[in-house]
Amino acid sequence: MNEQIASQRHWSTQKERGSLFLMRLTALSVRLFGRRLLAPVLYLIVLYFFVSARSARRHIRQYQRYLAAWSGNPALQPTLGSVFGQFIAFADNLLDRLDVWRGRLRFEQVQLVDPSGIRPRLLRSQHGGRGEILVVTHLGNPDVCRAMAELGEQVPLNVLVHNRHVAQFNRLLGEAGDRSMRLIQVSELDTAMMMDLSQRVERGEWLAIAGDRVPLHDGRRVTVNFLGHPAAFPQGPWLLAGLLRCPVNLLCCLKVDGRYRIHLDPFLDSAGWERGRRDAAIAGWVQRYADHLATQCLLAPQQWFNFYDYWQNASAEATDAN
Amino acid sequence: MNALQQDIAQLIINTLNLEDVTVADIPPDLPLFGEGLGLDSVDALELALALQKRYDIRIASDSKDARQHFTTVASLAAFVQAQQEA
Repeated sequence: MNEQIASQRHWSTQKERGSLFLMRLTALSVRLFGRRLLAPVLYLIVLYFFVSARSARRHIRQYQRYLAAWSGNPALQPTLGSVFGQFIAFADNLLDRLDVWRGRLRFEQVQLVDPSGIRPRLLRSQHGGRGEILVVTHLGNPDVCRAMAELGEQVPLNVLVHNRHVAQFNRLLGEAGDRSMRLIQVSELDTAMMMDLSQRVERGEWLAIAGDRVPLHDGRRVTVNFLGHPAAFPQGPWLLAGLLRCPVNLLCCLKVDGRYRIHLDPFLDSAGWERGRRDAAIAGWVQRYADHLATQCLLAPQQWFNFYDYWQNASAEATDAN
Repeated sequence: MNALQQDIAQLIINTLNLEDVTVADIPPDLPLFGEGLGLDSVDALELALALQKRYDIRIASDSKDARQHFTTVASLAAFVQAQQEA
């Protein structure tokens, strides 16, 4: 019974407990010992996490099973090794994030896949253009937004997060010398927040927001098919885009053969909906987004860093739909 | 209905693309949400952005306060007027 409750805990409560503390601890240790010394320690921590967190193991196994079935590639079926591999990929990811935060990962080291020229638009918006939205994902390394801010050469990038510890994260960023990226806490889209974001977009600032995690207290979610099964996705990014009537692009950063690769894909030229067809429009976008995410999972199958019960939210919604 | 109220009613119609609705259908004291005109919270956000552009007003982050301003066309007009005089 207890275990069931624990396993159904929402990702945001799990994260708040661990992430900031872990981030701080690792940040301090990296500063003290350097990455080479820290890596084995972190692997040990992850090994402990792997052994002790039964539910996380189960959720990763489920993800791998769904991915294998959806793609029709039996080689992706979960094994003990492949599940463990995903935990190790997470340790690597944490180390890389610290490098990004400390400015060690330079833009030159990152390969940019930008067939439609989104980066030039980002640069142009500094000179009187309108801002746009970047929808990011927890597949791969979302912190590479930081590198994006750098590659935008001081184009202000606002990262919208649900985390309550924004002030502390902003201080960490400030310590790291980052002035162009700002974290903004958005627990709910209210009028004042919308007005603020709208002015930012008019000033040419860009907004980044995660498209793959449902916030705890926000009932605005939509259930679509992801890897062959219904999963709940947030409506927030798409409401924002529709209200601001601005273009939406997808940003995903994957590590392939030891090198980071940023994928920038245009998604909507200008978001908007017809009166009375808002929900249908959003559901359509989210399904297309989920399909896009699924194909990107195949590029880096072990970099799916959602360790909670990803497909649970959909069924929960069915029972408490009001 | 005064000129500002009329203007706001028209802005509501244009912003939200309310087909088959005219200014006369939105009397100043008709509730905009729920039973009245039937707008929802996303409509409210859309409307807020349109009001911001048109009248150059700011809405403070206190959301309860904001909700009160958005009750009817009359309350919106009073709010816009107060903001413009401030």
